Amino acid sequence: MQIEFKHVTHSYESNNPMSGLGLADVSCTINSGKFTAIVGKTGSGKSTLVRHINALLKPTSGEILVGERKITSETNNKNLKPLRKNVGMVFQFPESQLFEDTVEKDIMFGPQNFGVPEKDAKEAAQEMIDVVGLGSEYLQKSPFDLSGGQMRRVAIAGVLASDPETIILDEPTAGLDPVGRKEIMDLFKEQQKNGKTIILITHNMDDVANYADEMMVMHDSQIVASGTPKAVFNDQELLDKNYLTLPQSAIFAQKLQAKNFHFDQLPITISELTTEIKQQIHGD
Amino acid sequence: MTNIISIKDVYYKYPGSEVYAINGISLDIQKNQWLSIVGKNGSGKTTLTRLIDGLEESESGSIAIDGVISDEQTIWEARKKIGIVFQNPDHQFVGATVEDDVAFGLENQGMPREQMVESVDRALAMVDMQDYKKRDPQSLSGGQKQRVAIAGVLAIQPQIIIMDESTSMLDPDGRKTVINLIEELRSKQDLTVISITHDIEETQLSDRIIVLNSGKVVKDTTPAELYNLRGQLQEYGLEEPFTNLVAENLTDVIDFKGYIDEKGLIDQLCKLNSNT
Ligand SMILES: Nc1ncnc2c1ncn2[C@@H]1O[C@H](COP(=O)(O)OP(=O)(O)OP(=O)(O)O)[C@@H](O)[C@H]1O
Ligand SMILES: Nc1ncnc2c1ncn2[C@@H]1O[C@H](COP(=O)(O)OP(=O)(O)OP(=O)(O)O)[C@@H](O)[C@H]1O
Ligand SMILES: [Mg+2]
Ligand SMILES: [Mg+2]
Repeated sequence: MQIEFKHVTHSYESNNPMSGLGLADVSCTINSGKFTAIVGKTGSGKSTLVRHINALLKPTSGEILVGERKITSETNNKNLKPLRKNVGMVFQFPESQLFEDTVEKDIMFGPQNFGVPEKDAKEAAQEMIDVVGLGSEYLQKSPFDLSGGQMRRVAIAGVLASDPETIILDEPTAGLDPVGRKEIMDLFKEQQKNGKTIILITHNMDDVANYADEMMVMHDSQIVASGTPKAVFNDQELLDKNYLTLPQSAIFAQKLQAKNFHFDQLPITISELTTEIKQQIHGD
Repeated sequence: MTNIISIKDVYYKYPGSEVYAINGISLDIQKNQWLSIVGKNGSGKTTLTRLIDGLEESESGSIAIDGVISDEQTIWEARKKIGIVFQNPDHQFVGATVEDDVAFGLENQGMPREQMVESVDRALAMVDMQDYKKRDPQSLSGGQKQRVAIAGVLAIQPQIIIMDESTSMLDPDGRKTVINLIEELRSKQDLTVISITHDIEETQLSDRIIVLNSGKVVKDTTPAELYNLRGQLQEYGLEEPFTNLVAENLTDVIDFKGYIDEKGLIDQLCKLNSNT
């Protein structure tokens, strides 16, 4: 689904609109079927931005188009189900999303809430618990008797089980062990290949370089840049202003550049980096 | 060096659970050490720190803090020496405002009011959150919450700081700033740092690193030695450091056996490049 923000401002303190601005006149388009990463410093407005997409937050002014659906300050909380069925979200803190007394019920809640029969929801839970690397022995546990990373996996399983068209991921790999992080990122990429739109908030620039088609950079409640990761990470002005940090491959390339290598464009993945290095060493 | 924490043969399982979350751990942690704890999700990292702080009681074995074996009486004194930044900062917050929250630990220590205001300001300034004093901690962004949680622990100036993935939601610069801050405190005071993290870069700064797996310490070593393990890392849920991954892709041009550090790799590559 295409998502469009048109001059969206969000003020957290409606009595004092100038302080506590979560979003300041943001306009942007997130393309259907793409993997879009959103980066930016602590407090720059990333979570605020994405919470508008499923109407958890309403704009103070401006509008958001999610497919055919329009969200404005007037949008009321009735009849949001179709929107929430289409737009799933893994929250920044997974615990805030878990509430049932077993993992199984927790994962089944979403699908059942959207009309899937109990039997099918149960099957979805069985399938998803494996997909996130936990195994069916976890289904009967309480989601609150799990480790941090295990809770995170259950929250992801719950969102995937509802099979939403657009999946919003707010730092979904924080707390996952490195092997798990890669597996879960691959899983999201797989979901995209199956036609879904993926929106990922992350501080991991390597994940942006490795997985995203497009990226947006936020700063002080605004979007200050967008484009392909390759183009954005090569935007010197953004780096000078300290709005953005680089993936490890680009940082490494800069260090080589300070010696006797030369890169027209900074490589952003390990394979780009090593291909370039070999070419330069072989002198072609 | 004196042992600030000494753990002997500790076993623990959660009520109602059949498996041991901590399955026989013995570990001495020296004063002023920076210890990283790594391992897969569910390997027992958080549980181990909860046992150290006496939030859970071990089934058998003993834990001594600063030479005193913890029991129901001594744990209260021991706890004053330990500051834990919890994995989920929401579990940490007790105050209605950020400043109240940071003051809470100081109040418990019986610090006079005036001194307290100063200490709160200093701690918030350290993590760059002084402008958010009057805010409700629940209304902060994820990274802001983590910063305030860290400030709350720094304010009480503990002898032992335990950070349970406390920088996982900070932006890369913010993460570096916090780590450098802790390192600075460690070198100035007699601070002992226990850091649970999945961030490989963060572990590379530590003196010592232990790997937990199914409630056991399966490696107790230095970062450089650990990253030498190559294929075995995967088994422990870990990834290879960036330099290894680069070197692996360049084996047809460079010499690469085990862990290679950044300087070593850059030197090799620049030498090769100048030969052509
Ligand atoms: N409920 C709220 N009331 C007042 N201010 C808020 C509220 N929620 C967020 N804010 C403020 O809005 C700004 C943007 O917050 P947001 O959560 O969108 O940041 P973020 O980019 O997701 O940051 P992080 O990377 O730390 O999660 C922050 O300064 C934050 O303190
Ligand atoms: N309150 C609880 N009740 C029952 N079992 C629990 C509880 N908390 C954790 N466990 C279990 O104990 C084991 C160890 O959990 P712990 O939280 O110590 O792991 P961890 O190494 O910190 O993992 P993570 O990296 O995911 O935070 C896990 O298998 C977990 O499911
Ligand atoms: Mg956020
Ligand atoms: Mg943990």
